[in-house]
Amino acid sequence: MSMNNPYLPEMATINEVIEETHNIKTFRVTLNDTEKMKNFTFEPGQVGQLSVFGVGESTFVINSPPTRMDYLQFSVMRTGEVTTKLHSLEAGDQIGVRAPLGKCFPYEDMKGKDIIFVGGGIGMAPLRTLLLYMLDNRKDYGNISLLYGARSPNDMAYSYELDEWFSRKDLDTTLTIDVEFPDWKHRVGLIPNVLLEMNPSPENCVAVTCGPPIMIKFTLQALKKLGFEDNQIVTTLEKRMKCGVGICGRCNIGGSYVCKDGPAYTYEQLKQLPNEL
Amino acid sequence: MSEKKFLKNESVIPFIEGLAGGRKVLVPVCEGDAVIYRPYRKDCRLELTRMPTISPKDATFPRTETLMTFKQAPVAKTEGDGEGDSDAQPKLELTETLPEEKVVVFGSRPCGARGKSIFTRVYETEDVKDPYFIGRRDNTLFVSIACAAPETTCFCTSVGGGPADTTGSDVILIPVDGGYVAEAVTEHGAELLQSDLLTSGADKAGEAEAVIQKSMELLGDADDFSIAREKLIELFDNDEFWFDMSAKCISCGTCTYLCPTCYCFNITDETAGKSGKRIRTWDTCMSNMFTMEASGHNPRTSKANRLKNRVGHKFSYYPSLHDKVIACCGCGRCIKSCPAAVDIREIVKSAQEYEDVNE
Amino acid sequence: MTGLEELKTKILGALPELDVVIGWEQGYDALNATPLFIRKPEDVERLIIGPLCAHNLATYLPGLKDKKVGIVVKGCDSRAVIELLQEKLINKDNITIFGLKCDGVVNLNKIRKKIGDLGQIRKVVFDSGIITITAGETDHQLKFSEVRMDKCDTCKYPNALLFDHFIGTPDDRQNGIEPEHISDAEFEKMSLEDRFAFWKQEMSRCVRCYACRNACPMCVCRDHCVAVTRDPHWISQENDTADNWMFQMIHVMHLTGRCVECGECERACPMDIPLMLLRRQMNKGVRDVFEYEAGIDPQGKPPLLTFKVEEDNIPEREW
Repeated sequence: MSMNNPYLPEMATINEVIEETHNIKTFRVTLNDTEKMKNFTFEPGQVGQLSVFGVGESTFVINSPPTRMDYLQFSVMRTGEVTTKLHSLEAGDQIGVRAPLGKCFPYEDMKGKDIIFVGGGIGMAPLRTLLLYMLDNRKDYGNISLLYGARSPNDMAYSYELDEWFSRKDLDTTLTIDVEFPDWKHRVGLIPNVLLEMNPSPENCVAVTCGPPIMIKFTLQALKKLGFEDNQIVTTLEKRMKCGVGICGRCNIGGSYVCKDGPAYTYEQLKQLPNEL
Repeated sequence: MSEKKFLKNESVIPFIEGLAGGRKVLVPVCEGDAVIYRPYRKDCRLELTRMPTISPKDATFPRTETLMTFKQAPVAKTEGDGEGDSDAQPKLELTETLPEEKVVVFGSRPCGARGKSIFTRVYETEDVKDPYFIGRRDNTLFVSIACAAPETTCFCTSVGGGPADTTGSDVILIPVDGGYVAEAVTEHGAELLQSDLLTSGADKAGEAEAVIQKSMELLGDADDFSIAREKLIELFDNDEFWFDMSAKCISCGTCTYLCPTCYCFNITDETAGKSGKRIRTWDTCMSNMFTMEASGHNPRTSKANRLKNRVGHKFSYYPSLHDKVIACCGCGRCIKSCPAAVDIREIVKSAQEYEDVNE
Repeated sequence: MTGLEELKTKILGALPELDVVIGWEQGYDALNATPLFIRKPEDVERLIIGPLCAHNLATYLPGLKDKKVGIVVKGCDSRAVIELLQEKLINKDNITIFGLKCDGVVNLNKIRKKIGDLGQIRKVVFDSGIITITAGETDHQLKFSEVRMDKCDTCKYPNALLFDHFIGTPDDRQNGIEPEHISDAEFEKMSLEDRFAFWKQEMSRCVRCYACRNACPMCVCRDHCVAVTRDPHWISQENDTADNWMFQMIHVMHLTGRCVECGECERACPMDIPLMLLRRQMNKGVRDVFEYEAGIDPQGKPPLLTFKVEEDNIPEREW
């Protein structure tokens, strides 16, 4: 076979499954071909297609950073056929991986700048890869702050990492939940409101946000209110995807194919596309 | 162009049978009142005068195609071998299934054969190469019959084609009195014409030219669809316009499935017991499911959104990405076979002529 | 169909109270009609009626449920409106029906089959049972009875059965109608093996475009059809004979006791699969067992939408 078949997944093994919330599990995966695993490279924000053979494929961001290559990590919210099947898998099970796909966050352009991450629910997954990458290359970036919200403490993925994030002096972490909850020691309120209260300065700052569509919508409004320019806001999109390589035709916004030209976009880029999120 | 040869009507069948050496030969046949491509058989109802109902894209982009197969390999008993493998999970064997069949399509129209050139710009780029499409395309020859009698739904000349357009064809046959004037377009096509069944067609060149000239006259003046690129984007948020344009659309997939250039697909897995296959099947942007996300969110919930995407893709997004080439061959199948006679030409023209009364 | 001017006048009169009136206008050439959505008085000028107006416009009604809609119907179309009302899928208060008397509609496929691709159609004239099509420089004359839709050969209901406005004079055509379609009798003579072979051949060319489903006024699931879901996963996306056949069987079974034989599925099918043969066979069963015909009586209960402990014609027990 002379051509590289873009549809053919690499066989991979699930090494560890972490139960994050009632509907989110995290999978740590290595490619079975050790040579390929050793040479595997990607950039923060790129995605992969996970295959459960017999059920299908679904797209997830690689949420481990390229600086930590012991495994590739994917967090999966149970919503449809493939994700339900993925949730039934255990360590040792075989899946297929097609990665990396898509374009990464503009992390090179963000060097020397302050960064504020605004993540909601499972939207924390794509931010995690970039956050950890930046922490591993800490000197390249200015102040880094994180606002992470979920419906309730029980809906908060990566809770086991939060202590470490809080303990870091070079990361300013703020957590929020939508409504009061017993023994919750952090903030209560919707993400865009908390963001406005935090009042981050847009000067030399880039905001990176991901979450449910409604949260992104109001977060964008809050960021604009805070004085962030369109090119200072970065987000990453969800779309139904099949091929993952810009051919099958369903994830387009006008002429931009989210699987290949995204999923990471600046707000400035998004505004140039037709209004069809 | 190469020399002109002549294939007389009586020699058409022997010529088709001669093509079969090592290749599958697809020909248009009449079934019911539809004309579809089927593998040639002696008893088939060959139909070479009507435009086939369905485009020949199935030859290079099948309705269903197996991308790979998988099966669960039996787990070897490792009990007591001391290697700690006793709880090893069953391994999956994955096998890619690349196309190898050699095919010749006889009796396509130039507009149908042209369709695969629209695919190529997407399926074969610097970054990504689709081995299934490329494999089939490179193994499939097209012997196209030029169009002598365009219909009212035809508009090939408005989208860069023509009744004897050679794009995507290996041989062009021009119908003349008593047979066809044959010309090779590619080297492979020239090989097909190395048959003793063909005689010199030099004396019929004038007649062939007249046939095409007549066809061009019947097609009339070409429409200029070039400003649609910008106009369709300008109208993107004009819900009323798209609501009007899509009112009679019934959201079926006929337009996209019969289209020579519609290249969107779905990928699904099918299993039987411990083995299965990953298949790709034609999909249609006219379906609600096409963009339905796992979360339940759907960027295109209404038929207006979806029709906008079909027209936008062909006349705006694709041309903007690919040297202004319109992703339409003007074959008119989407108009002629639409259960509600939705006319893509009228939609594009309405967009181009649209003036906002509020401005 | 007669009374175009009367129809226009009545639509103009009703339009101020309605969001839209659905009729037909000329399509891309003289041999084609296409649905017309009348929103403004000037749109009425484009209205046509006649043998080209094959589309059953009732198909659009469930999608316009919250709107005040006027609709122009032939006899068969009106049965679809009635069936939708029977199933409470539309609300009569929102619908104004303009009923026509129909003399049959054209099947374009039959014309293509007779004279091939038509080329540039210039003019079409219907006169005394003859259709004259001027294409290019040639006049083709065809008998209307040979190119009308199959359903018209055996039509018992030329007049709209339910209407707010009737246009013209109703036609009395109850007598002299063949009770069954010719091809049904031929089909029934075939052995089961031959029937299966026949359907396998027909189904092999289905492209699963779902035109039959979406053109059907009774197929109201639309975006939630089992044919495209993975959960339940009853049909594969594979476009092979078995899956095509399965889809078509699901379609026809879901129409049991509901199909009004408007023929839209068959007209919409680009592959010319004789879908009406399936439906007529199924409807025959419904007539035999339940003595019921769909879409005749707005108050009638479709047999499979109700429940009887003991069906009159289904001997469930020996005693």
